[in-house]
Amino acid sequence: MAGWNRRELLAAMLAGPVAGAPAARSAPVVVAKCPSYKQDQVALMDAMFDKLGGLGSLVKNKTVTVKVNLTGSPALKFQGKALGVTHYTHPDQIAAFAHLCQRAGARRVRFVESAWATAGPLEDYMLDSGWNVRRMKAAASIAEFRNTNGLGQFAKYAKFKVPGGGSIFPSYTLNEAYAQTDVFVSMAKLKNHATCGVTLSMKNIFGITPASIYGDDAGEHEPNEKPEKGRVNVCHLGKRQPASIADPEKNRSSSREASERMPRITAELVAARPIDLAIVDGIETVTGGEGPWIRGLRYVNPGVMIAGLNPVCTDTVATAIMGYNPRDRRAGAFAKCENTLLLAEQMGLGSADLKAIEVRGTPISESMFSFAG
Amino acid sequence: MLLLLALTIPAAGWIPARWHSSDPKSLELVQQTPINALLLEKQHWSPDFAKAAAARAILTLGVITPADAKVSPETIAAAGHSALVLEDLSPEAAAAIRATLPALPIVEIGSRTRMRLDTEDPILATNQGLWAGINTVEDGAAKAAPSGGPWIDTNSGFLRFVRAVTSTPLWLGNRPPESAVIPPARYLQAVGDAAMVGARWIVTLDAAFEKNLLAGDETALRNWRAIGDHIAFYEQHPEWRSFQPYSQLALVQDTASGGLFSGGILDMISVKHTPVRAVPARRLEEKDAMAGATMAVNVDPEAMTADQKQTLRQFTRAGGTLLTAPPGWKFPAQREGQITLDKEDVEKLDQIWKEVNAMTGRRNLGARLFNVSTMLSSLSAGPGGSPLVLQMVNYSDYPVEDITVHVLGKFKKAHLLAPGAPAREVEVYDNEEGTGIDIATVATVAALVIE
Repeated sequence: MAGWNRRELLAAMLAGPVAGAPAARSAPVVVAKCPSYKQDQVALMDAMFDKLGGLGSLVKNKTVTVKVNLTGSPALKFQGKALGVTHYTHPDQIAAFAHLCQRAGARRVRFVESAWATAGPLEDYMLDSGWNVRRMKAAASIAEFRNTNGLGQFAKYAKFKVPGGGSIFPSYTLNEAYAQTDVFVSMAKLKNHATCGVTLSMKNIFGITPASIYGDDAGEHEPNEKPEKGRVNVCHLGKRQPASIADPEKNRSSSREASERMPRITAELVAARPIDLAIVDGIETVTGGEGPWIRGLRYVNPGVMIAGLNPVCTDTVATAIMGYNPRDRRAGAFAKCENTLLLAEQMGLGSADLKAIEVRGTPISESMFSFAG
Repeated sequence: MLLLLALTIPAAGWIPARWHSSDPKSLELVQQTPINALLLEKQHWSPDFAKAAAARAILTLGVITPADAKVSPETIAAAGHSALVLEDLSPEAAAAIRATLPALPIVEIGSRTRMRLDTEDPILATNQGLWAGINTVEDGAAKAAPSGGPWIDTNSGFLRFVRAVTSTPLWLGNRPPESAVIPPARYLQAVGDAAMVGARWIVTLDAAFEKNLLAGDETALRNWRAIGDHIAFYEQHPEWRSFQPYSQLALVQDTASGGLFSGGILDMISVKHTPVRAVPARRLEEKDAMAGATMAVNVDPEAMTADQKQTLRQFTRAGGTLLTAPPGWKFPAQREGQITLDKEDVEKLDQIWKEVNAMTGRRNLGARLFNVSTMLSSLSAGPGGSPLVLQMVNYSDYPVEDITVHVLGKFKKAHLLAPGAPAREVEVYDNEEGTGIDIATVATVAALVIE
């Protein structure tokens, strides 16, 4: 994946509006340098949220649902490193965010993930990831952990319609936790992605789809509440339809290419279940793919955190920090796939135009870390 | 005198290694470790070496292979060995040697399927040990997909079964392939893999390692001392070998139903980090054979005697859950020399594995371990159920960090033991399953003693 340099970045930020770019919402994005997780994550995030207007105004008396990134089996580590320093959300950030939410007066903070190939308790999955759940709970008594890969504690699923009708699915049927949400937060990792070029706060949301319905072993009609497989055949490849309690694809003769489907599905999901706060952790991470099952992965330490109130804007800034042109089509990070940022922008979800995005804190040019090559 | 040495060191205390030197000076290297039983092939037989070894309380065991089967009793006697190892000999050849040297302790080493589990020899042994470790694909990378962790090659399931059949000290080993260079960590893993279930790995160095060691190479010496430290770690706790498995899950099987395989159901359960105890079908008629078990898997119901079936009926009547292989299902037959399952065998096993998996789920049947995908463990209890000892082996090249253990039952304290390190008390806390314990790091082997 070819990248761009600081000079090109500067040109993109100073040039006139992008021709043909739809006028989309914009929101400020804050960037902060942080060389290590050993640094106080509470202080780091607190300072970042202050630059976005403060966490209190967002979460006070609210139910906050936080989608973390626990992609792939926790059994798969890269070079023996802790999952949080390679391809998972870092546990210290979970604890820090829970603590800050509690301090800001949130009613409840519920960490969610559709854990790989299981509908078992998320606490078990987190322990398998090497996370100290006790410490997290001690950091905030209002913290809960829910595996949304199936029905879980709820009696029913919730249907989320895609505004405008969607292009792949007209709606998504999800765990009720996503409906019982006042503030939806995506805590993602700064990474490349084999299918979508980059995986940031928006792509992280693909993990809200339950394998019970969208999994390879989902029932034909009823959800499989004991899923043991991933979600490749329904979403990535379109080889089968979801369990029929969910809406089927709109057009079964459309592309079956994952590189065309997954960016669209990602954008649709963000439209259907909007993100109120996007957090992208690039302190330590990997380049070359989203997890250890991708060949050519490399551990890196970009030492950067990014957060914003609009996921498209946040991911646009994050993509630029990774050394890619966020507006590339079939080039750069998006050489082999559709550009999720532009698809989301076209859906009116936010601006993917760096000129339209106010960056607070550390400038992009001082935060860049090349993920290309 | 040399035979006397064999008689004064009980066989349970023989700690074996193959040794390819007859230079008495090399015994200084042996003395840096707890190893005290050297297996010497015929070209290394030497009465002077044997005497020098005996002076250091080291046994020498003369190895007789089929190529040496016609060696004369006089030659054997002249070598001054403390015992003999008959390796891969036919029963007839072994019997002939036994007849000529009735006073000398004999150890027979051969294939797993030829092991005589009712032997009266001092040691039960096989040379069909797997090299324990993470299974890799052709290019050397660990088998990986988003779906799961690495598969671990282990002897532990096989050893659990054999140890449940007999209390005779158990050895296993394997010669490094010719020209192979075994990574140092693999030796440590092999030692731990056997020792955590009460057996001993016959240390056999690859040619390059041994050559460097005998030449005094610093790296080889360091690696040799690490092997010694790991052996010593287990030898400092001989009582652990007599502890009983601490698990509510019993796997009923025997030699004809997978007990001698590696990669069978015992190992599949272990890889899920579910404690399991092997119950040989032949032991079912004994009192308390199923004591403490709440779940059981009967792999070969059709091979059972009426009394054995009655024991399992009583188990279910008392509230136990019994999973039985479907009618007509037979465990894949084990060929002579076969130690792991063929692909077709694994597919066949999958029929009952899914049922086992569904039955056990992630229930706590003794202990649940978290973040241990590159580890295997063995949980056992001392007399009266205390202390518990959780022995752990990490098969990866990297330390495992941030492990959590949930143990059934309420316990008040725990200590973490590791080679070359003082015992360290670790915090215990109550949780819904009983007791929780967090472990910061395990390098290659460690044990948690819980009271």
